[in-house]
Amino acid sequence: MIDVARIDHWAASGSGPFHRSSPIAKVFFLLLVVSAAVIAKNPYALLAGYGALLVVAALSRLPWPRVMALSWYAAVFALLYSLSIRGGFLIRALFIVKAITPSFAMLMVIVSTPYPKIFSLLGSVLPEIIAAGLFMTYRTLFILLDMMDNFAAAIRLRGGFSPGSLYKNSANISQGIAMLVVRAVERASRIYAVMVVRGYSGSMAEKASVRLHPEDWLPLSTGAAVLLLVLLWK
Amino acid sequence: MTHMHIPDGVLPVHLWLLGFVLMALVLGLCLLRLKNADLKKKIPLLGAVSAVMLVAMSLEILPLAYHINLSVVAGILLGPALGFIAAFITNLILALMGHGGITVIGLNTLLLGSEAVLGHTLFYLLSRRMPVFWRTALATMVTLCIATVALIGIVSVSHIDPELFSHESQAPGQGLAHGGTISVSRFATMVLTLGFFGWLIESAISGAVVAFIAKVKPDLLGHALHRDKFDGDNRGAVR
Repeated sequence: MIDVARIDHWAASGSGPFHRSSPIAKVFFLLLVVSAAVIAKNPYALLAGYGALLVVAALSRLPWPRVMALSWYAAVFALLYSLSIRGGFLIRALFIVKAITPSFAMLMVIVSTPYPKIFSLLGSVLPEIIAAGLFMTYRTLFILLDMMDNFAAAIRLRGGFSPGSLYKNSANISQGIAMLVVRAVERASRIYAVMVVRGYSGSMAEKASVRLHPEDWLPLSTGAAVLLLVLLWK
Repeated sequence: MTHMHIPDGVLPVHLWLLGFVLMALVLGLCLLRLKNADLKKKIPLLGAVSAVMLVAMSLEILPLAYHINLSVVAGILLGPALGFIAAFITNLILALMGHGGITVIGLNTLLLGSEAVLGHTLFYLLSRRMPVFWRTALATMVTLCIATVALIGIVSVSHIDPELFSHESQAPGQGLAHGGTISVSRFATMVLTLGFFGWLIESAISGAVVAFIAKVKPDLLGHALHRDKFDGDNRGAVR
C-alpha cells in the first residue's frame, strides 16, 4: 500500500530548497524529466539522470531513501511488461529506468509540495467537478486508510481470516470492502457538508502562484540537466 | 487488470497523444451530461468511490500480480458519466504517486472508464430477476474480458516504436539483435492466463460488494441517472 499519510507529512513538514520552490517550477521540472524518459534510448544516460535526481533529493533534505524505494515500485510492473518484449538486457534495463526516473521525479514533487498547493494548481486547469472530485478523493483516502487498519484488526480479532478457506476469506474481505464503500460515502458526505458550511465553493482558498521566483532555480536546472544528459549521451 | 503499468516513453507518441485527446473528448461529453445534475450530492459519492478504487488498485493479489479495480462497481454506483470521471481521478492520483506512467494517463482512463461505462450498461441490461450478486459478477466478468482484449489491442498497435531502439547496433552490450519488437501473442497469453483468475476474483468481490450495498444502503444504487430502471421490483431481487 502506498503510504499516502507519510507522503503528506513529508510535504507539509520540510523546509529544504525543493520545498521552497514554486509548484509551477516543479511542474516544469517534472515535464523536463518525463520528456527525457520519453526520448531516452540509452539506459545508462537515464540511469545517470536518476542518479542526479537522487543527489539533488539528498542535498534538498528530501526523504530520498524512502522516495527511492517508492520509485522502484514502478519497476516491478515495468519488468513484467518488459518480459513480453523480444530483446536483451539493455532493452529491459531501459524499460525499468524509464519507469523509475519519472516516478522518482514525481515523488520528489509530491513529497515537497503540500496537497492544497497541488490541488490549487490542478483546479486552475481542470473543470470544477473534476477538481472538487480530486480533492474529495484525496481527503477520503486518509479516512479510508484508517478504516482499513481498523477493519483488518477487527477481522483478525473475530477470527475472520481462516488459513486455507478461500471462500470464507473472500466473503469476509468482500463484505469489508462493501462496508468501506458505505462508510466512506457517509464520511465523505459529512466532510463535504462541513466544507460547504465553512465556505467551500468548489475551489481552493489558496490560489496557486503561476510566477517563477529565484528559488525555482533548483528544480528547473535539475530537470534541464536530466534532459541534456539524455540528449547528449547517445 | 486493465490499468497499464507501461512506463513513460515506451508507447509511441502518437498513441498516447491520441489517448489524451480521446480522454479529453469523453470527459467533455461526461461534463455535458452532468450539466444539470445536482453535483453537491454527487461530489462526496465521487470522492468516496474514487478513493475506494485507489485503495483497491494499490493492493496486489499475489502471486498473480493482479489488483482489483472496482471500476464496474464505480460504474454501477456512479453511473457512466461520473464513473468515467472517477476513472480519470483514480489514474491521475495513481500517476501522482508514481504508480504508472504520466503519458499513459489518457489510455488508462479510456480503459478504466470504458469498464465503468460498460459495467454500468451490462448491469442494467441484465435481467432484473437475476440476483444482484450474479448480475454484478456477470457484468464484471464480461466487462473485464472485453477491456482486457482492448488492452491487448492497444499493446499490439503500439509496435513499440522502432525508432526507440534504432541505435541498438551501436549500443554496448548484447542481446539487442531482435530488440524492441513486442510479442503480442506472448503478452496476450500472459495477460489472459493470469487475468482469467483475476477476473474471477474481481467478479466475486464486485458481486458481493454490490449485493451488500443493495441490502444495507439501497439508495446508493438508485441514483438519479437510472432511478427509473432501478426502482420497483429490483429490491426484491437482492439475495
